[in-house]
Amino acid sequence: MKDFEYIRARSVDHALEVLAEKGESAVKIAGGQSLLNILKQGLMAPDCLVDIKGLEELDFIESNPGTGFRIGALTTHASILDSEVLQSSCGVLASMERHLATVQVRNWGTIGGNLCMADPSSDAAPVLIALGSTAHIRGPEGAREVPLGEFFLGYYETVVQPGELLTEISFPAIPPATGVSYEKFRNVEGDAPIVVSSAFVSLEKDGRTLSDARVVLGGVASTPVRATAVEDALKGVKLTPAAVESASGLVAESTSPIPDVVCSAEYRNKIARVLAKRTLLSAFEEAKAAVGGKKHR
Amino acid sequence: MEYSVLGKKVRRVDGAAKVTGQAKYTVDMALPGMLAGKLLRSPHPHARIVSIDASAAKALPGVAAVITAEDTLKLTFGNWRRYPHLLDEHPLAPDKVRFIGDEIAAVAAADEDTAEEALTLIEVEYEILPAVFDPVEAMQDGAPQIHTGPNVRNNVSETRHIEFGDVDAAFRACDRIREDDFSLHAVSHAAMEPHASLAQTDTDGRLTIWTSTQVPYYVQILLAHTLGMPEGKIRVIRPHVGGGWGGKIELFKDQYCAARLSQITGKPVKIVYTREEEFSCTRRRTPMKYHLKTGYMKDGTLVAKEARAVLDGGAYNAMGPTALYLTGFFQMFPYDIPNYRYDGFHVYTNKNPSSAMRGFGGPQAEFTCDSQLDMIAADLGMDPAELRLRNLMKPGHEIKGYCKVASCGIEECIRKAMKSTGWKKKRGNLQFGRGIGMGCYGFMSGGVFNWINTPYAFSAAMIRMSVDGFAEVYVGSAEIGQGSDTVMAQIAAETLGIPMDMIRVTSGDTAVCPPDLGAWGSRQTLMTGNAVKMAAEDVKKQVLEAASGMMEQNIVYSYDMRDGKVFVKERPDRTIPYQDAVKAAVRARGGLQIVGRGLYTPHGKGMVSPAFSFGAQVSEVDVDVETGKVSMVNVTTAHDCGQVINELGVEGQLEGAFVMGQGYVLSENLATDDGKVLNPSFVDYKVMRAPDVPLNFTSLMVETYEPEGPYGAKEAGEGLTNPNAGCIANAIYDAVGVRIYDMPITPEKILAALEEKKAAAGKKKPGKKPAARKPRKPARPAKKTRK
Repeated sequence: MKDFEYIRARSVDHALEVLAEKGESAVKIAGGQSLLNILKQGLMAPDCLVDIKGLEELDFIESNPGTGFRIGALTTHASILDSEVLQSSCGVLASMERHLATVQVRNWGTIGGNLCMADPSSDAAPVLIALGSTAHIRGPEGAREVPLGEFFLGYYETVVQPGELLTEISFPAIPPATGVSYEKFRNVEGDAPIVVSSAFVSLEKDGRTLSDARVVLGGVASTPVRATAVEDALKGVKLTPAAVESASGLVAESTSPIPDVVCSAEYRNKIARVLAKRTLLSAFEEAKAAVGGKKHR
Repeated sequence: MEYSVLGKKVRRVDGAAKVTGQAKYTVDMALPGMLAGKLLRSPHPHARIVSIDASAAKALPGVAAVITAEDTLKLTFGNWRRYPHLLDEHPLAPDKVRFIGDEIAAVAAADEDTAEEALTLIEVEYEILPAVFDPVEAMQDGAPQIHTGPNVRNNVSETRHIEFGDVDAAFRACDRIREDDFSLHAVSHAAMEPHASLAQTDTDGRLTIWTSTQVPYYVQILLAHTLGMPEGKIRVIRPHVGGGWGGKIELFKDQYCAARLSQITGKPVKIVYTREEEFSCTRRRTPMKYHLKTGYMKDGTLVAKEARAVLDGGAYNAMGPTALYLTGFFQMFPYDIPNYRYDGFHVYTNKNPSSAMRGFGGPQAEFTCDSQLDMIAADLGMDPAELRLRNLMKPGHEIKGYCKVASCGIEECIRKAMKSTGWKKKRGNLQFGRGIGMGCYGFMSGGVFNWINTPYAFSAAMIRMSVDGFAEVYVGSAEIGQGSDTVMAQIAAETLGIPMDMIRVTSGDTAVCPPDLGAWGSRQTLMTGNAVKMAAEDVKKQVLEAASGMMEQNIVYSYDMRDGKVFVKERPDRTIPYQDAVKAAVRARGGLQIVGRGLYTPHGKGMVSPAFSFGAQVSEVDVDVETGKVSMVNVTTAHDCGQVINELGVEGQLEGAFVMGQGYVLSENLATDDGKVLNPSFVDYKVMRAPDVPLNFTSLMVETYEPEGPYGAKEAGEGLTNPNAGCIANAIYDAVGVRIYDMPITPEKILAALEEKKAAAGKKKPGKKPAARKPRKPARPAKKTRK
């Protein structure tokens, strides 16, 4: 590993100052769960590391019944998993975090770091996109907001510029008559997912007809993708397992997987189809329960 | 007789040091003034070295030395000292590189970064040669020739033939014949501690090397050979070792280069392989292509077997020729097949060398054997367990010219495993998607192999007893995490009749310990254990002689030691503390300390091993029919390891062996493309992790008495790597009715096979709902299902 200058940021403002001064030669490090591997392999050799891990102002979870949730970018996976408010009002996030990597990674890795790494098979991105999240970014020009669905540009690439920081993620409260689910496929437990799916299903008052759906897939393209063909095929449709099964067959219209050492592109599409179906069905069940007035999530 | 420490659940003697982090491994070590070493490796799978210019690297500030083949004796080396035609590897490549990662030069510098930078400054001009990666292609006329020499033809470096009975006549006379082809892939040892060495040359030219190895004595004599030094001037110290599994049973380039660079610089030099080097440039499990033909009778009697294996040996022989022999040998285990023929071919390819790895050819053999046995059972409509029971080896089994099997508990292993798992109830009665399968194995307890050509006994032990009763046990065996030091302490304590905490085992320092062949082939419990027992008996005899003088009993009485006391066997209430007898013995011989010596070498034990262990494995799996993913539900293993020495140790070994086998079957695959390893990291190379370990894991111990072993003990923990692939493959077949012939058995292959099966079923029965297999009825007692 090449030597580098190490600067520990004292505040968000200080971090932005340093980043402005150092320009493209500086790289931000939060939990370092991915970055250290990259540095060790020599894939990146920055002159300067700006350590933002200690910025307490970005480590928070806030819930407001009216407007929804805010999670600071430096909140660890373990904090999200342990958050009682998220467990009770957004169970899908906890269920994603419970199976994210290993306990060591969850204890040190941060949600913002996970998203900024932009690994196409990230656990977190699909479920946060399905929840309708917004990324909050600060830079020398001030603050800006980007829908999380537009946050990812390609493999390991996001809209966050070298001088900018992702500061928080926000998403609205889950509406009534709605279910959100998440599932991932991997061959070895504790390993990164091969394919991830998250589904958001809102129903009409009849408890059967789909009013709104988001199906977000990871691991099947250079970024997380919305399976829009699947969503469109189900809108206004009275949901049945057969209808979901048939619509899930359209996943490949939104995916562009590439073969790798783990499996073929075709296999990723097959798994995406199975996971889309499974997550849609479980979100549907949860939404039905919500319509029926049962406690859910 | 009830043993005092044998057969008990004993804590490892090194356990506390390891779990508290006190234990130091070679990677942890440092010496003042130490230099960091790095190796320059070939980026090409096959090339001739035209020239090397290291001047810019030597000129880089901080660089202390750069070595190439010109700084070596250019000798070939390897474990095959008795068979020099198999020695094909140089410490640094003198003229040609044969795989991506082949070592060309080494640098010693002030720190790792400088050493790495220096590597980039070494200019090597290559003439790129055509390469070959598939062993069958490599055997064809016109294929690139990776090695030339009188013993190599079309890249075949070694062939092995095993034959007994009248195979052709038996095939003519049998009722049915089944022939199948299988292919087996490469996996990595993936030890947590990489290959690592720290070498120091003293002012008098003596060399000390601390290194992560399974074979300190081999490293000593092979360093002596390659460096042109007397063995006596080399001291090899093996600190705690973070795993070996066969990947550290040879002299490696880190060891040679650290030693050579320390000679040249006069400073300590440390070399630690990166994880990428571990995956790409060290050894791997041998990939094989197997053709298997078995002849059998309608009643399930196996009468003839013919096996042909082509091994993808990689760029050098390494220990591949032993895997070549053992895979053919263990192909027939644990079955009594009277007519058998094996032909094996060890073939060079431009990939990293294949070598020894836990099971040493056995896992490949048993995958093919167990898979085919289940196909034969299906053909005959027999329960696969019954087919196995009908054809087992029995105690006293002899294969003339090859081996004698004294103790053999395979039948009890199968019956115990069947009973424990409810085999008869479950087999054929589980829901579609869940299945149960069996695999069986036999394995060696140390090899009768003296490739290294040593005049020393295979194992030796020395015990010094001090006047306060503490016993210092010196053995050359290698504790590499398998629990060997604990076993030696137990055997010494049991034989001496003193508590475990009065024993200290010192192993793996060639300046202090007697030579021993080291940790491979499951040899230490039997071989070093026998030497320790003999040395302890020698000590005890000396103590009892003194006690006899002190206790003044009737001369017809005899003496023994137990619970720290010397007692009169015929009058057990008459005792003295053994320390008193030790003191008396020392005084009686003018102050000379009591020393006991022992040794062991197999004699008249055939060509393979002095004793064989056996076992049966039953796995229950769930297969997700939509994704092809396999989950382990229940795992039961019954193992015959003779007398259990440490029950905790055996359990740990069995569990570890299973999980390693589980990875071999379901997830691990050291993939290459044009000779380049595609997944040289733990991110991309998929080992099983703690959450993958089956929660329901049952270890059943079947105790037999092995007359050749210390207290009747034999192998435990390597053999169980062998049956997992076939066992899980058979369970998958039972679950969803698909048979995978090429390893690893990935979800993708299972799903593809399920789809193929569905399509075929759809074609056969037009109009009917295509079903992969009739959904089964829920489990219920077998009798009721018959109407």
